[in-house]
Amino acid sequence: MNPHDQIIDIHTHPIFMGDGKSKKEINAFVTECRSSGIVRMNSLGDVLLYGYNPDADQIRSINNQNGRLQRLHPDYFTSFCYLNPTLGELEVMKETERCLARFDSKGIKLEIANNASAACMKHVAKAASEFGLIVLQHTWSTQGSFSSQVPRKLQSDPVDTALFARRYPEVKIIMAHLSGFGHRGVAEVKDLPNVSIDTSGGYPEEGLVEYAVEQLGADRVYYGSDFPIREHSVTIGRILGARISEADKRKILYENAIRLLGHN
Amino acid sequence: MLIDTNTFLGAWPFSPDPEYTSGKFLDHLNENGIERALVSHFGTVFAPDPIPANKRLLRATKSRPALVPVPVINLNLATWREQIERCLQAASVPAVKILPNYHNYKLSSSRMEAFLEVLHSRGLKLILNVRLNDERGQYFALKVKGVPITGIVSFLNRFPETHPLLTGLYRPELKELAGECGNFSTDIAFCEWRKTVEDLLTVMPSERLVLGTCSPLLSTRAQVDKLRLADISTKSKKQISYLNAKRFFKL
Repeated sequence: MNPHDQIIDIHTHPIFMGDGKSKKEINAFVTECRSSGIVRMNSLGDVLLYGYNPDADQIRSINNQNGRLQRLHPDYFTSFCYLNPTLGELEVMKETERCLARFDSKGIKLEIANNASAACMKHVAKAASEFGLIVLQHTWSTQGSFSSQVPRKLQSDPVDTALFARRYPEVKIIMAHLSGFGHRGVAEVKDLPNVSIDTSGGYPEEGLVEYAVEQLGADRVYYGSDFPIREHSVTIGRILGARISEADKRKILYENAIRLLGHN
Repeated sequence: MLIDTNTFLGAWPFSPDPEYTSGKFLDHLNENGIERALVSHFGTVFAPDPIPANKRLLRATKSRPALVPVPVINLNLATWREQIERCLQAASVPAVKILPNYHNYKLSSSRMEAFLEVLHSRGLKLILNVRLNDERGQYFALKVKGVPITGIVSFLNRFPETHPLLTGLYRPELKELAGECGNFSTDIAFCEWRKTVEDLLTVMPSERLVLGTCSPLLSTRAQVDKLRLADISTKSKKQISYLNAKRFFKL
């Protein structure tokens, strides 16, 4: 089997900044993605729709939208439960429980409501441990010259995500955006077995996928696109073009994700 | 067939990957379906004088006609005429490239008019490189922003007879520029969004788009697939893949 016969994309935002909500648009989206070889898609929600720090109602609305995607295409979409840790333990636990019950969420998604090193992350660790969920943490290097417009106290550098992982070794974490955290990020989590990474974000820098596989092993690398901000031909092409074994490509593009998300 | 208008030989100081020889680089491009490539040398980017690296480029491409040399000219040096002449004495080149953001001058430079006159008289095309990498992911020892779009607009308006190839534009920059000026072509190396090429064709005619991969900094396979898998007409795909580059550079 070719590694690209079946691909699971664990990092997507099918509805982005309010665009793509209608049934017709969602159907077209699924058709387009299927034609790119994506057999399953994990939706992380329209996480920036209400800004960096959404309130509890806004969080519920974003997660409900994920639920709608799953209702329309139950064989195609899975979802992670989007949380704002700064809303406190009660809200975090309540929303996680609701997402599990209603949408069978496969993990927790964190964006830029707070830094991964913040004290409020203990609520996330509690929810993840209690409900057995993996945490996908947006991570981007803050050491670049023109890194980001996001304030440092909200933007999680790989150092911050690694600190979260060290504090809670029982929590499984996906550090998102290989192109965003780069070689330094890979090195930061190399010795943290509870941390995997995804390949989403940024331009397809040559050699970075190879470096991640060499340092972490292919079992700890998930394919993610950040679609529609990025294009599948490019994000898949960087895996297929990488100088790694066909077996490793298959793990990244499909096998690791099927272990995480399960079969529909 | 594919012609790549944006490639480099030499070592990029912020990459841990080994430098390609010209033979290995050509093999790599061929593996990804690229038959010809316009190639410059990374050694011109940071060295105080581009002449030695241009020489290395001309030597490396001499016996490899599939690698078309594009010397880099540094207009911040008073020797810019000599830089051009030395290259032309050594080889036939269809174009020269400038990197204003790496060489610390603006497109409004007082040397620009004379420079363009020389290019015109020598039948050379101009490639204006806007960026070599995503500024957000730059290694912390590198602090170089892309060439500002306002400066490019002024440049294109100041020299309406000039039609450069711009390499490394972001998608929003390309869209902004397309609304302001018509006298430029561009590669697609740093444009990416859902249905990238289809999206670009809503603002740019296919006659003014060319394949550029920015190899070996970016994944060649990924960049080629962006065009290869685009849902556009066969005619447009051929134009962007090779016909436009062939015509533009008289290859």
